[in-house]
Amino acid sequence: MRKSLLAIILLCGAAFPALSANTPADKGTGKSATGNVTGATANLAPNDPAGQLTRQARDYANTRYSPLSQINKANVARLRIAWTFSDGQMYGHEGAPLVVGDTMYVVTPYPNIAYALDLSKAGAPIKWVFQPNPDPRAIGEACCDKVLRGWAYADGKLIYNLLDDHTVAVDAQTGKEVWRVLLDDVSKGPTLTQAAFVVGDKVYIGSSGGELGTNGWFQALDVKDGHTIWKAFTNGPDDGALIGPEFKPFYPWMNGKDLGISTWPGEMWKQGASAPWGWVSYDPDLNEVYYGTSNPGPRTPSQRPGLNLWSSAVFARDADTGQAKWAYQFTPHDEWDYDGVNENVLLDIPWKGARRKVMVHFNRNGFAYTIDRATGEVLVAEPFGLQNWAEKIDLTTGMPIVNDAAHPIVEKKVENICPPDIGVKNWNPSAFSPRTGLLYAGVFNSCMDLTNHIVQYIPGSPYDGMEMVRHAGPGGNWGEFIAWDPVQGKRVWSVKENLYVWSGAVVTGSDLVFYGTMDGWFRAVDARSGKVLWSQKLGSGITAAPMTFIGPDKRQYVAVYAGVGGGAGVLRREKGFMPGGNTLYVFSVDGAGPGNGATQLVSHAEAAAPVSVPPAAAHN
Amino acid sequence: MKKLVFLLTLLATPAFAQVSADTANPFEGKADAAESGHALFGKMNCAGCHAYDLTGGMGPDLTDASWLYGGKPGEIYHTIAEGTPRGMPAWKDKMTADEIWQVVTYIQSKKQ
Repeated sequence: MRKSLLAIILLCGAAFPALSANTPADKGTGKSATGNVTGATANLAPNDPAGQLTRQARDYANTRYSPLSQINKANVARLRIAWTFSDGQMYGHEGAPLVVGDTMYVVTPYPNIAYALDLSKAGAPIKWVFQPNPDPRAIGEACCDKVLRGWAYADGKLIYNLLDDHTVAVDAQTGKEVWRVLLDDVSKGPTLTQAAFVVGDKVYIGSSGGELGTNGWFQALDVKDGHTIWKAFTNGPDDGALIGPEFKPFYPWMNGKDLGISTWPGEMWKQGASAPWGWVSYDPDLNEVYYGTSNPGPRTPSQRPGLNLWSSAVFARDADTGQAKWAYQFTPHDEWDYDGVNENVLLDIPWKGARRKVMVHFNRNGFAYTIDRATGEVLVAEPFGLQNWAEKIDLTTGMPIVNDAAHPIVEKKVENICPPDIGVKNWNPSAFSPRTGLLYAGVFNSCMDLTNHIVQYIPGSPYDGMEMVRHAGPGGNWGEFIAWDPVQGKRVWSVKENLYVWSGAVVTGSDLVFYGTMDGWFRAVDARSGKVLWSQKLGSGITAAPMTFIGPDKRQYVAVYAGVGGGAGVLRREKGFMPGGNTLYVFSVDGAGPGNGATQLVSHAEAAAPVSVPPAAAHN
Repeated sequence: MKKLVFLLTLLATPAFAQVSADTANPFEGKADAAESGHALFGKMNCAGCHAYDLTGGMGPDLTDASWLYGGKPGEIYHTIAEGTPRGMPAWKDKMTADEIWQVVTYIQSKKQ
């Protein structure tokens, strides 16, 4: 019956494709090939103005869905460069520009220089520059390039992290520092690369340093002055981890006193890393924040027998008090560097006749999890790419069934473990469309030959021990861009790419998905079919998240940084990998924009007053 | 007294004193020293930044012809001993002069 119903819907969809794709009814939960095919929806709070972007993922739920639709399937092939901006810094570029009012805000990787660009003037000249001058010692402590994954706009301030463990707030009008707080000691290994995440009067910050034997933490700062409101260490005693009476993990093996100590040998939890360096989500109804934790330290697992809680896990916490509500460890006793820090996209899905509030999480370990975000129960855990370390995730226990051949051995090469340390997907954020009900993600197709080494903890140096040779999986393509059904746990379509697809994604109200490749192609694909509708080669590989906005001229633009780097540097010796870069590309239909075309004299007359632009930092 | 001990230490380990850019590596070309340096390269976490094959990652490639702080044996010694302002730790308090020279010997053996 269900099949015949689907067939009828398909026939109707084919007969009225334009109607089905664009009517408001499309946003509902009904299934059809042209409407929402999974029934998944999302709360798009705080419902910022459609043309602006004040946070990296646009909404608290981390959908990266933009309702804009001026650029559509009919005109996307006419996208051309409207203007560009080079910031001169050569480390990997990972964040998306923010747009508030007539101003665009970008922040460079180390040395974390902020620029405000005036969109109301021809060529978007610099409005102000802010140079925080972070401590250069941080360069030697950041594991995976000297990156910054994003920044936030709130309360008239641009708020972001410096690599040297400071968080700063800058007056968005003047570019003057409002506050700066020091959150850790960079000489011991921790750095800050995370995208600050703001809800109301709080900004949420997580530490980096999974490979440095750090003691990972997550904290809420006051947006007004930066003071710490609450701070939760990942590991160690329950008191420090803010695990108390409200903590109710779904699976009993995560229930017990001080598991952040007892699941480690001796005092090794103190160097157990588990750093929450990835994305943060927020549910306004439950008033909870969600974030994941990194691999345990050291990366050599034989040195730390035990579950190593709360590494490679996800936490749900009360947004106001930080008290843990539940946790779930994706990869117990992580042996392969499968961090749990990737984005948690908050959706509502149909599940066995009812609606469930869930999070969807593409884990480095190759499984895409759909988890009840009120309870921590795993509803779906299916492979979204090449993996062979686990037979499956046992949904009754929440535990993976580990393949015996995948265990690393000290001083012996174990061949063909899939995926390698960097996972089937890394921090590069996916996007969700409430119109299609699908998620869109850049993924990796690769394996590793792994030799482990015993390491000692020396503060400020890597606490690592993994020696790897990575190779592409079947097909020879390192990467793909996929559409994912979070209810069925299945791929819907995929586009094969030569190298890892390590860019973020944005999906629009006209069913276009934008992503970039490490060999420099910026693409728009049909969100329903995966058909490539437009490609443009840029000056460097793309490891940043694209975004879209409406300019003061009421025109829709799409923007992305081309500046390959970060963890993607593991493929730097592969054919097609491009040199680094630092150019923001802004596109519009036909390249139209203020001052473009036959209006040069106007653009000259409206150029901003000169500002002091800092020179590029020397590349390490 | 303290000075005397220091002086005796200097005499006992001549390699530690007065290393300049042009100081020759006392273990130059010696396979056993390179092997000891290889072990230290792993044990002291050098491989964590510069990779087990020395081709770099978190830190620079040590097998290519590009040297940020000089590629002569004495310069490499100095970089390891004193660290750099850009985050390479100083190792002079964690390794002896002979050990640092062994690591230099290992690095030299891997240069292209």
